[in-house]
Amino acid sequence: MEKTVVKIDNLVKRYGELVALDHFSLEIKEGEIFGLLGPNGSGKTTTINCLLSLLSFDKGSIEIFGKKMTPVSYDIKKDIGVVMQNVVVSDELTVYENIDYFCGLYITDKKLRKQYVEEAVKFVGLDDFTKFYPKKLSGGLLRRLNIACGIAHKPKLIILDEPTVAVDPQSRNKILEGIQELNKNGVTIIYTSHYMEEVEQICTRIAIMDKGRKVAEGTKDELKRMIKNTETISIEALGLGEDVLAEMRALPHVYDVKYDEKLLVISCSGGKHNLIRALEVLQKRELGFGRVYSELPTLNEVFLEITGKALRDKEE
Amino acid sequence: MFLHNLIYEIKSSFRVRDLLFWLILFPIILGTFFKIAFGSLYEKQTKVTAIPTAIVETADNEVFRSVIESVSGTDEALLDAEFLSEEEALKKLKDGDIKGIIYSGDKLTLTVSGDGIEQSVLKLFVEQYMLREKIITDTMTSDPSKMQAVIAALSEEVNTSEEAKLTEGNLDFYIQYFYNLIAMVAMYGSVTGLHVAIGQQANLSELGARKNCSATPKSVGILASLTGTWIVQSICMIICVSFTAFVLKVDYGDRLPLVYVAAICGGILGVAFGFFIGSIGRMKQGAKVGICMSVSMTMCFLSGLMVANMKPIMAEKAPWFNNINPAALVADSISALNLYSGYRVFVTKVVTMLVISLIFYVLGLLMVRRRKYASL
Repeated sequence: MEKTVVKIDNLVKRYGELVALDHFSLEIKEGEIFGLLGPNGSGKTTTINCLLSLLSFDKGSIEIFGKKMTPVSYDIKKDIGVVMQNVVVSDELTVYENIDYFCGLYITDKKLRKQYVEEAVKFVGLDDFTKFYPKKLSGGLLRRLNIACGIAHKPKLIILDEPTVAVDPQSRNKILEGIQELNKNGVTIIYTSHYMEEVEQICTRIAIMDKGRKVAEGTKDELKRMIKNTETISIEALGLGEDVLAEMRALPHVYDVKYDEKLLVISCSGGKHNLIRALEVLQKRELGFGRVYSELPTLNEVFLEITGKALRDKEE
Repeated sequence: MFLHNLIYEIKSSFRVRDLLFWLILFPIILGTFFKIAFGSLYEKQTKVTAIPTAIVETADNEVFRSVIESVSGTDEALLDAEFLSEEEALKKLKDGDIKGIIYSGDKLTLTVSGDGIEQSVLKLFVEQYMLREKIITDTMTSDPSKMQAVIAALSEEVNTSEEAKLTEGNLDFYIQYFYNLIAMVAMYGSVTGLHVAIGQQANLSELGARKNCSATPKSVGILASLTGTWIVQSICMIICVSFTAFVLKVDYGDRLPLVYVAAICGGILGVAFGFFIGSIGRMKQGAKVGICMSVSMTMCFLSGLMVANMKPIMAEKAPWFNNINPAALVADSISALNLYSGYRVFVTKVVTMLVISLIFYVLGLLMVRRRKYASL
């Protein structure tokens, strides 16, 4: 049976009148890459800060590695790696010194620390920049340094709070590959991000937060099944009449049909063989068609459907 | 973990350019400026200058002539005397080239231009000469046998008081500026203390938040950072005292090692003050630095860094203030080494500094020790 690494139970956190976390519960198993998604102000960072015992909370409990997490749980903290949302490094220390400094907050053995720091440098690909000061690094390199500082001590649980913000595609790819590699080595990862494609790419399980509550949780496929749209079929076809469109609408699992004289878009909710049935309608009437696409919903669509499309910053 | 934190605290501190400027370079520049400005002023004020005087001989007076020759013409002469005709002497007096004219004949008379120290000295000189001449003349008339004894008595300097030195130290007035310079460097240490407090609190800095997530106990982190800051501040204080003492040749008296002790204690007090300010409330770092700098400079001003008379004014208006003003305590502790031969005042000032430091540290730690925050 998989061990529970993080258990958040019924967590309530208020900032005055504002309820930042509203009876929020979560369980993360060993070896998962757990994605925490949510719009701005949904409570992701508050959850992380409570988890790390930086923030006090009004109600609920947090357990990590089966033990209650408190600010003095140094035995738990030594196995946690943190990569903050903003780059947190010392401008007065070089790349190597920064990694060594943060690693030294966990590892006392000098020889072992040296080995870990060198491995971390290699892992994030900063070999050529060890003597550089952070101010001389590009945004992507800084992010990689930030990650190296958070993971150098080889923690069992790594919390990454939007680690790829303002990073170029190459650096982002390097970071995501690195995270997957860490996970392959048995590290449990909590990953928060606004980038749906990243979460979809690497996370094994995802929780969507909104207004301090968990509104959905599951694997990406489970989440996609939670929304109405499960498949979007697009067919290039000319001169389709209203009778054809009516027949398409009458097909099982089809809940919406749109046509703009060139492209027919059929939205389906559940069911199998939706594409075959749609093509049969056209063939039966001997109507020609061009390219055909069948797309499953993206995590972005899932996210927007669950959390709504209203601008959150504006709302706040 | 302590040593690891300590090493990196020292290493990173010495790479902060602002810190190097304000704690090392600026005092060197200001000290050099003080030396140039006040050093020459002091020499001008204290150098004994001979009083330019004209001697007009209305009758032959060999005794007086020899006396005049003995008090002029040397490096430490009382008079810069020249024998002139009355006409020439009056012209020079009018032009301000001389301070007075002594008419030498059967009787001495003196003409001076205006009032002043030099005119008073000339008047005293003439009166003393006439008094002694009368004593000798009277003795010769009444009892010539006592003449030798009278001359011997007159030759001796008769002092009703005995000079007793308070200290072997330097009592020059302008040296106060250097005491205050050292106090200023100590107070600038408040900025480094401020960074220690801010860098440890999750609600004040991201670095603080990051450190709070680590496996290093907060107490170890704070102690290591404070120790590192004390070491850095002490090195800056040693550089400041050494530069002024050995490069600018400021004479701190014969107890220089204790000047270092006072300066280092002052540095610890400065760091404590900053640590305390850094621990209070949730103001932004820039605002706290502003408070630290302005309070430090106000304290330095009130202790006489910019206006030397400020400390006596404070001593008169609010005597208690100089006993708690950190800048005044630093300056006074060093000053006490030069003013008093004993150690009572010095020890009192140093102990006061350490007690105030302790109060600041305890209050700061009580606020910083918090481990969980209501908001970040």
